[in-house]
Amino acid sequence: MDTLAALGHGFLVALTPYNLLWSAIGVTVGTAVGVLPGIGPALTVALLLPVTYGLEPTSAFIMFAGIYYGAMYGGSTTSILLNAPGESGSIVTAIDGHAMARQGRGAQALATAAIGSFIAGTIATAALTFVAPLMVKMALLFGPAEYFALMVLALTTVTAVLGSSLARGLASLFLGLALGLVGIDMQTGQARLAFGVPELLDGIDTVVVAVGLFAVGETLYVASRHRFETEEIYALKGSKWMSREDWSRSWKPWLRGTLLGFPIGTLPAGGSEIPTFLSYLVEKRLAKKPEEFGKGAIEAVAGPEAANNASAAGVLAPLLSLGLPTSATAAIMLAAFQQYGLQPGPTLFDNNPELVWGMIASLYIGNVLLLVLNLPLVGFWVKLLLIPRPWLYAGILVFSSLGAYTLNNNVIDLVILWVIGLLGFGMRVLNVPVAPCVVGLILGPLAEQQFRRALAISQGDPSVFLTHPISAALLIIAALLVIGPMVLRFRSNGAGKGAGNGTGKGDSASPSGSHPAT
Amino acid sequence: MTTGRSMRAGEAVLGGGLIALGGLIAVETMLTPSVGRAVVGPALFPYLISGGLVLVGLSLLREAFAGAVAHAEGLELDLWAVALVAAGLAVQFLLLDTLGWIPSTTILFAAVSRAFGGRRLVVNLAIGLALAAFTFVAFNYGLGLNLPEGSIVERLTSPDAE
Repeated sequence: MDTLAALGHGFLVALTPYNLLWSAIGVTVGTAVGVLPGIGPALTVALLLPVTYGLEPTSAFIMFAGIYYGAMYGGSTTSILLNAPGESGSIVTAIDGHAMARQGRGAQALATAAIGSFIAGTIATAALTFVAPLMVKMALLFGPAEYFALMVLALTTVTAVLGSSLARGLASLFLGLALGLVGIDMQTGQARLAFGVPELLDGIDTVVVAVGLFAVGETLYVASRHRFETEEIYALKGSKWMSREDWSRSWKPWLRGTLLGFPIGTLPAGGSEIPTFLSYLVEKRLAKKPEEFGKGAIEAVAGPEAANNASAAGVLAPLLSLGLPTSATAAIMLAAFQQYGLQPGPTLFDNNPELVWGMIASLYIGNVLLLVLNLPLVGFWVKLLLIPRPWLYAGILVFSSLGAYTLNNNVIDLVILWVIGLLGFGMRVLNVPVAPCVVGLILGPLAEQQFRRALAISQGDPSVFLTHPISAALLIIAALLVIGPMVLRFRSNGAGKGAGNGTGKGDSASPSGSHPAT
Repeated sequence: MTTGRSMRAGEAVLGGGLIALGGLIAVETMLTPSVGRAVVGPALFPYLISGGLVLVGLSLLREAFAGAVAHAEGLELDLWAVALVAAGLAVQFLLLDTLGWIPSTTILFAAVSRAFGGRRLVVNLAIGLALAAFTFVAFNYGLGLNLPEGSIVERLTSPDAE
């Protein structure tokens, strides 16, 4: 009952006209930016960070919540009509969604995505409401050793799950960890790797790295490829409404997608990729006409889109209650909290209940606003897809440099943005996933802090990580995730020697490339 | 046009770069005198991460020469467009403090538009100028942020500041 009372209080905060206004602005801007091709939720949140600087934290995070959910809705529009998913969670949607658009059923695909997102978002937000306080209770049992082990697990899963090759995922992760070292050490005040540049003493900003990798790197990549690729945009035509058959084929996938999305989202398992793929496979297995999959089956849009939005709410549970980001978007949200001097975790629930519960309540409100924005007004957002590419990408870079510059008002951040952008281009060409870099950058220093705290408490005895049962279990799972696939590969290599170990096979199945169809 | 062989070279460069970065971190950490008396000092994690970088770099090198690389069949890349976008960004950060936000961002906009095939330079400059001016006004006056107006402009508007 405490939870309901807290949520009720949150609604009082979120429903004040002032905060309602920021929520409405957040969902609108989030949808608009999310619809733009090449911009996923992580980048949307990073680019819109400067807009919130003038706000007090509660309103800022209510707006952020709107941006986050809005970007999830907007991203599905792009992947259905353009077949250019802005983020990994929409890749599966793009397969059948784009096929439906080609058959002139784009409006139905958008409708099942929007309604499914609404249903999944609402159920998952309700689940978040009750799971987050439970996780806070669990967090109170955690000491530094457990936190360290949990962060190691999160870093491992984000790396192991994404991309086609473990070595490339680890390369991205260690690059992020190395960038995280730069600046003043939090415990001793010693400068590390600043090379005498005063601007580097504050460290390298997560937002600069995220914008560099996702916006600058991606723009450079698209610039290098756009002469060789053609885009197909399909106009919406015919009936805009879902038929009775569409409804009856959609509602079960919506619910199943939600059931898959939320729990997997709360695990440190790297966000929305796994649940959307699982949902696709489940729907295909259960479908009456599995042969339609890949050719425009509505179930294959309804299920994964619901899973995508449910996992978006799931990701917020460990973020708010443990301070643990499990996706690139969550990493940027954590950076936003740090910008306001807030540390998510049990103390945030104690000290800033109006912020936490106002934000959770605003997610319910945002979902309703988004349904209105995305069903009747979808034609308006589709127009955004028609912006000529030269101006679109030039605009993306203008806003990227704006966001990076206004963080600290110095040009050094723009130089870092440039370097990271070129690096991101190289990573994109070589198919190195970028999310582990962003998560490593923000989690690395936090993990180090917990590691050193744990050792300070145990007076230097490193066995604490293995004698505490929770910590030991988490570390063992992390180790299995890295070693397991290696062992499997060695065994299959040994068994199938000479049988051609399929070069490029891993690449075609990889969820890391965001343009699956070329 | 990039061939499978240059993809391998690219991956090798990445692997070599990571090894070099690991070495740099290790050397820099060794050269930094340690302060504080914590049980675990500020040097442990840099050493661990530099070790990790070297190991990952080595395994990338192995992958580059003997394993599966991305786009092994080759990938066409328009490197001229990449250079133009990169140059636009470089010009922006080099001129930002002197010329200010509006002119340097207009140049960035025009350069990126050109890289994406927009040929009407005057139109692109005009749209860039409008966007730069709009963001300058909206962020400086609406949101209270500080986009630079440029040292030249400041000197012109307040000549008695000498």
